[in-house]
Amino acid sequence: MTEEEAIFDPTLKKKKKKKKTAFDLDAALADGGGENEAPSNNTDGGAADTKSDEKAEEDDVNVDIDLDFTKKKKKKKKPFSADDLDAIESKEEGAGEGGPQEDGNVDDNFDLDMLDFSKSKKKKKKKKDLDELMAEAEEKAEDKENGCTVEMVSETVDENSTQWGNSDRDYTYEELLNRAFEIMRDKNPDMAAGKKQKFVMRPPQVVKIGAKKTSFANFTEICKMLHRQPKHLLDFLLAELGTSGSVDGNSQLIIKGRFQQKQIENVLRRYIKEYVTCHTCRSPDTILQKDTRLFFLQCETCGSRCSVASIKSGFQAVTSKRAAIRAKTA
Amino acid sequence: MSIQNLNTFDPFADASKGADDDVQDGLVHIRIQQRNGRKTLTTVQGLSSDYDLKKIVRACKKEFACNGTVIDHPEYGEVLQLQGDQRENICQWLTKAGLAKPDQLKVHGF
Repeated sequence: MTEEEAIFDPTLKKKKKKKKTAFDLDAALADGGGENEAPSNNTDGGAADTKSDEKAEEDDVNVDIDLDFTKKKKKKKKPFSADDLDAIESKEEGAGEGGPQEDGNVDDNFDLDMLDFSKSKKKKKKKKDLDELMAEAEEKAEDKENGCTVEMVSETVDENSTQWGNSDRDYTYEELLNRAFEIMRDKNPDMAAGKKQKFVMRPPQVVKIGAKKTSFANFTEICKMLHRQPKHLLDFLLAELGTSGSVDGNSQLIIKGRFQQKQIENVLRRYIKEYVTCHTCRSPDTILQKDTRLFFLQCETCGSRCSVASIKSGFQAVTSKRAAIRAKTA
Repeated sequence: MSIQNLNTFDPFADASKGADDDVQDGLVHIRIQQRNGRKTLTTVQGLSSDYDLKKIVRACKKEFACNGTVIDHPEYGEVLQLQGDQRENICQWLTKAGLAKPDQLKVHGF
């Protein structure tokens, strides 16, 4: 996941940087202050906005657009009065949603700029969420929600790529860097570092059976989801947990020993890392083949092929009663 | 211009010496096994036989305040066996003692 962090770092820094430059300019140019202040206000507003606010904004859109121009003038005259800041904020929230419908005169370009800031802010939030979720491929819970965010992100990225098109202010390094990345991702959607589809996993359903056994109820379902042979996953689980177990009639896995869902999840995560995701591009779209006693992981996305570690249970200490073992073997 | 053969430096010194002066090579597998109830057992497999495992287990027992033993396995060689969940402890101890690098340690189990 370090790669992803590296990719999104610029955007994270960008937030802070942008605010700083905006305020510096305020101090330096009293005239330009009005203009430069607006984005910073807007970003603050954007940060404060929660998803619940978005709906309210949309309702206000039409009213706010009418008020746009008058308020803008006020703002430029006395940029530091608190009342105006509020007014600007509220107006910009409205403009943020209504902006795309407006025509391209100078003021509107400016509005579009601000709109993009607010939007990019939202986008970042979502991307971060996505990252965290991607990091833990089988943190499921909000599967459906994530499906939505992926789409939303791709939309905002498209808008963002043109956000500097009409303004004539100086670009910061981070903005340019970001833009380069966005264009790169737009042009090569299949690229490994680009928009990744989240690898969604359902949680393993782990139920205790009595005192000494554990049932892994959706074992075969998870095998299907991972496109792996149940036997392979079974071997891995039993080797890792150092126990014995079997699949019963209801296609659930019965493991000897007491295990919690969290523990099984951990082991599954390790299995996915080693045997499901491609070691080169981390795509889950892979095939596991057996070739001359070795397992090979063939990636369908990038075409790489690499061998994976064989499953060995290794040394197993004697944990049951020795007398019982002796009685069994004898 | 220098003549390779007259160099006092032996290019194969590293190879013949191996990595055992500092850390061993090969993975060290650290596993956990459940016993009855809440009890567990930690096994450490793959420590180089150049080390005196008995001394290691003695130090570990003292450090982790647990019992432990060395088991001679025909296939896996000498295996360290400690009582309780000592996975974290043994990982830290092995790296601190310089017996293995962190990336050589492979922790199995839940």
